[in-house]
Amino acid sequence: MNSPTARPLATEPDSPDRASDDTAPPRQPRRPLAAPPIAALVQRKPGDEAPKTAMPDVKADVRHVNFFYGKFQALHDISVPLYDRRVTAFIGPSGCGKSTLLRILNRIYELYPGQTATGEVILDGENILMPGLDLNRLRAKIGMVFQKPTPFPMAIYDNIAFGIRLYEKVSKSELDDRVESALRRAALWDEVKDKLRDSGLSLSGGQQQRLCIARAIAIEPEVLLLDEPASALDPISTQRIEELIAELKADYCIAMVTHNMQQAARSSDYTAFLYLGELVEFDETETIFTHPRVRRTEDYITGRFG
Amino acid sequence: MPAEHIIKSYDEELARLNKMVVEMGGLAESQLAAAIDAVVRRDSALAARVVEGDAAVDQIERDLDNLAIRLFALRQPMARDLREIFVALKIASDLERICDYAANVAKRSIALSQAPPVQLVHALPRMAQFALLLVKDVIDAYVEHDADKALEVWKRDEELDEMYSSLFREFLTYMMEDPRNIGTCTHLLFMAKNIERIGDHATNIAENLYYLVHGTPLTQARPKGDKSSLEVVAPDRAQSR
Amino acid sequence: MIPLYARRRLTNRIIIGLSIAATGFGLLWLVMVLGTLLINGASAIGPALFAQMTPPPGSSGGLLNAIAGSVVMTGIATLIGTPTGILAGTFLAEYARGSQFGELVRFINDILLSAPSIIIGLFVYEAMVVRMGHFSAWAGAVALAIIMVPVIVRTTEDMLRLVPSALREAAAALGAPKWKVVVMVTYRAALQGMVTGVLLAIARISGETAPLLFTALNNQFWSTDLNRPMANLPVVIFQFAMSPYADWQVLAWGGALLITVSILVLNITARILAAWSSFKS
Repeated sequence: MNSPTARPLATEPDSPDRASDDTAPPRQPRRPLAAPPIAALVQRKPGDEAPKTAMPDVKADVRHVNFFYGKFQALHDISVPLYDRRVTAFIGPSGCGKSTLLRILNRIYELYPGQTATGEVILDGENILMPGLDLNRLRAKIGMVFQKPTPFPMAIYDNIAFGIRLYEKVSKSELDDRVESALRRAALWDEVKDKLRDSGLSLSGGQQQRLCIARAIAIEPEVLLLDEPASALDPISTQRIEELIAELKADYCIAMVTHNMQQAARSSDYTAFLYLGELVEFDETETIFTHPRVRRTEDYITGRFG
Repeated sequence: MPAEHIIKSYDEELARLNKMVVEMGGLAESQLAAAIDAVVRRDSALAARVVEGDAAVDQIERDLDNLAIRLFALRQPMARDLREIFVALKIASDLERICDYAANVAKRSIALSQAPPVQLVHALPRMAQFALLLVKDVIDAYVEHDADKALEVWKRDEELDEMYSSLFREFLTYMMEDPRNIGTCTHLLFMAKNIERIGDHATNIAENLYYLVHGTPLTQARPKGDKSSLEVVAPDRAQSR
Repeated sequence: MIPLYARRRLTNRIIIGLSIAATGFGLLWLVMVLGTLLINGASAIGPALFAQMTPPPGSSGGLLNAIAGSVVMTGIATLIGTPTGILAGTFLAEYARGSQFGELVRFINDILLSAPSIIIGLFVYEAMVVRMGHFSAWAGAVALAIIMVPVIVRTTEDMLRLVPSALREAAAALGAPKWKVVVMVTYRAALQGMVTGVLLAIARISGETAPLLFTALNNQFWSTDLNRPMANLPVVIFQFAMSPYADWQVLAWGGALLITVSILVLNITARILAAWSSFKS
């Protein structure tokens, strides 16, 4: 399986044949089309205008990345583009390396000794795996939300202000505004506006996770990394998070790891399937979940593994 | 079927869905065959049985719909499973239409058998047999999930369309030659049209099967043999024959 | 089925019985110790205990100079030991994870943690008393600090390790430099545990006698000169209890009760803090 992607990685999201569907007259007017391309149906929602059909820019381009935990190679030659203003989901069984891949993107793995990555990740024309890069600046550009909510043991307000204060000198009133807008964007403001001085730990799990998302977006990052952001939450909180992801997509490039395939199907535009540290398939989410091209992908998403 | 699901009962339910489609296919075949028989043998009793038999097909279709809805809701099928269930639904509705047309042919055969036998009735069964073959082959293709076989059926529908076109012209000519033929010929024309539609549904099934197997819709333009909708026979031209 | 079940029930009962017996055995001695202490010590507790100096044999007096000495030396030891211990604990938990040097430091710290306090007393005697030529409160405080440090190192490291790494990652992922992560996030998360550790370390040293015997020794009079020997409760208790004089023995009981009660208070405070922290998170 040396280059297992069935499609070239730089696939246009709207392949020519689908684009022509919109304009060309139906070929067989008397007959209903056999199995309408679901992707086309999904994409042509009313009110969806040009931006949807315009090809998105590649925000971060992962190129031939390998990753090692000591001597163990956890990722093998991964190449995958992350499109701007799109959600890319990474799915695969436990230990396939999807979280590892996410942790490369902000080099958080470097907190631990013995972990190394090779290859390139080009973010805005710059290889972020380059040695000597200012990691803290990089991380300030790339927000991350973890599986378990990780509110800091401080007031709700300070949780959000923490990141802002790190790199910006802002006045009290501006800080207030920034905190409020971050909480609003994370759909948490109404629930916490009267208790900003309470501990972040006093919130419910779903609220804590939204607090973490608010904290991540308060520093105005360009990329958001979500590592199983809803796996510890109940279904209602999960849906709130998913709705939030859908809204945040308008401004960020989002990469999300999830064990929940329905969630990947619901919230992402692109899906990458990893298995044993290799990228098996990367494609539009609709394609992956209706007719994946690689047998392994199909077996995994239909629950036929093993 | 590819490798089994981790959840066995899911496999069982999918197998049941498949079985129901195949069962409907079998009924469609036998209904159509019986309808043709009824036409050829002028057997009103057999025709009546075909008309009554349609209810059984409808019942299976309802059961199949329920099972499919259940699978969608409870199993949240993806990829091949999703296509399997989606296509089963579509094929079932095509098969149900085929049975409707077969029943309609049978019903008209009762009317025909009231009238004195006419020579031209024999032109119809040949076309009907061909349609029956298409249905039979496409159901076989479904049983085997054989997209190539489905593609064959899909291409052969052209022939059926051509048969229909020529029958259409033939019946028109008969009607113009002798207005007393109009009653019989109108029935025959409708029956031919029904059979032609059966062929179309067989191609629909083939297209769906292709989608099921390959995941992409069959997009090449299908060869079309039916020119009858372009046919205009001016009365004066007919008279001049 | 039934015999098996009965056998299990019997085994269960026997084990429970043995456990209760063992607990009772342990508690019995504790109750006896505390009871004796209370009965004998209570009579010594009075205003004079806190107002008068240690008396010569045969006359009445109190423990004021010893109490003050203990407080001063424990205080100085805490001032030296707490930052040292916390910094070393932070080094082990945050900076030396997986490093060989860290392993070495941890190993040595563990040895120090279980080292008999008399050894530490002897070490400070050699290092300070002999060189200075006389016993001093400084030497006493240093000896107590040396006992304290490994305790605080250990509790700090443990408490910091209990902080989920996701919290550190979350702070680092916002672009916070390491020292800010440690100071602003990890310390906050571990604060109560660390304070508890310090309190327990204070409790640990407030009863130490051996190291003070070799360092601060004793002083029958009020002294605030840290370069001179200084009175302290444990050594006073040791001397007075060993003496044949009844007055001194009573004072020794009173001092013992005093130390026990303060340690109890420290322990209870630590417990409350710990419970409060686990309640909060």
